[in-house]
Amino acid sequence: MNTPSFHDVEQLSAYLDGQLSQAEKTRLETRIQSDPALAAALTDLRQARAILRRTPRRRSPRNFTLTPKMAGIKPPVPRLVPALGWASAVAMVLFVFTLGTNLLGQISFGANAPMLSAAATSREGYGLGGGPPATDNSQVLPTPEPYALTVPEPTPTGEPRLAQPPAAPSTTKASQPIDFRIYAWLGLSVILILAALLVRLTNDQAFRRKVGSKRNQ
Amino acid sequence: MDEPALIRNAQHGDLDAFNILVLAYQDIVYNTALRILGDEDLAADASQEAFIHAFRALNSYRGGSFRAWLLRTVTNACYDELRRKQRHPSTPLEPETEDGDEMETPRWLADPDGSPEELLDKAEIEHAIQHCLENLPTDFRAVVVLADIQGLDYSEVASALKKPVGTIKSRLARARLRLRECLHSFGELLPSAFRLEEERTL
Repeated sequence: MNTPSFHDVEQLSAYLDGQLSQAEKTRLETRIQSDPALAAALTDLRQARAILRRTPRRRSPRNFTLTPKMAGIKPPVPRLVPALGWASAVAMVLFVFTLGTNLLGQISFGANAPMLSAAATSREGYGLGGGPPATDNSQVLPTPEPYALTVPEPTPTGEPRLAQPPAAPSTTKASQPIDFRIYAWLGLSVILILAALLVRLTNDQAFRRKVGSKRNQ
Repeated sequence: MDEPALIRNAQHGDLDAFNILVLAYQDIVYNTALRILGDEDLAADASQEAFIHAFRALNSYRGGSFRAWLLRTVTNACYDELRRKQRHPSTPLEPETEDGDEMETPRWLADPDGSPEELLDKAEIEHAIQHCLENLPTDFRAVVVLADIQGLDYSEVASALKKPVGTIKSRLARARLRLRECLHSFGELLPSAFRLEEERTL
C-alpha cells in the first residue's frame, strides 16, 4: 500500500468539498476503489473535516455595534456656533486693540517723567521751610491742594510762579480710569465664547440622547 | 434583511444601517477571531476592531460576498494581534494545585493517555480542536477556520484571504492532514464518534 502523494491528498480534499471537475472526480473515484491507501486517506480527511464542523459555535459575548464616537462621527455643529465664534474673535480683537491704544497713551505719558521729577525737585527746594509766604496762593490757585503750598516760587513780581499747574493735568490724566470700552469688549467676547460653548454642549447632549434612544430601540 | 440596501446606506454614513449588519454578522466574526486567536478577550477586541475598521473602510467594498469582505477585516485584525503577541509573549496564568504546581488540563495539553470519556465531553472536544488549531501555522489556521468551521466556499476563502483558489486548496489539504494527526493524539474514540456524525451529514 503506497502512501498517497501530497497531490493526491490535495485532490482528495478538494473532492470532499466538491471542488473537482466531473472528469477529475470520475478519475479519482476509480483510483480510490482500487487503492486502499487512497481510500484510507480520504477517510482521514473526512473525519478531520467532520470534527472541525462540530466545533461549538459561541455567541458573541456582547454586541459589537458601534457608537458614533467609535465610528468617528461627530454631532453636526449648529449654525449659531461658528457665528458666535467669529463674533467673539472680533470682540477679542477689539479688546486687544483698545487695550493697546490705552497702554500706548500711558507710555507716552511716561516720557514726561523727567519734567515731573524736576518739578518734584523744585518742590523739595521750596519745602515747608524755604518757600515764600503763601499769602496770595488762595487767590491764584483755584484749589487749596496740599502740594500747592510748596510749589509757589518767588517771581520778580512777587507772585508765585505757577510751574506746577502744567504738570497737574498730566498727573490727573494718568490716574484716569481705563477706557470703559476695554471692559466692554472683554466682557462681550467672554459672553460670546460662553454662549458658543453652551450651544455646542446643548447640541452634543441632544445628539447623544437621540443616538442613545435609537440604540435602545 | 435587505443587505445590499443596508450596505449602501452604511456607505453613505448611516451608522444604524451598519449596526444592523453588525448584529447579523457579529457571531461569525467573533467565532472566527476566537478560533484563530484562541482567547476570548482577544477575540472580542479583534472583532470590535474589525467592525470599526470595516465601517471606516466600507467605501472600499466593491460588491461580492460581504461576509468574505468582513471576514478579511477580522482575519487581518487577528494577524495583527498574533504579531503583537509574538513581539510581547506572555505566560498564561494557570490554576495551581495544593503543592503550588500548575494544574494541567486537556485545555492546554494534548494528553494521548487521557480517558476517552473526558475527551468526549463537548467542552473538551472544543479545547482539543482549539489546541490543534493553535499548532497550525497562522495562514493554514485561517484557511481551515474559514472553510471548515465557518463553511465558506473556496472562492470566498480566497477573497477573504486575498490568495488564489489554488493556494487555498493546497493549504486546506495540508491543514486537514495536520489536524487529523493532532486530533488522533487526543484519543481513539474521538474520531469514531465524529465518523457517525459525518455519515449523517454527508
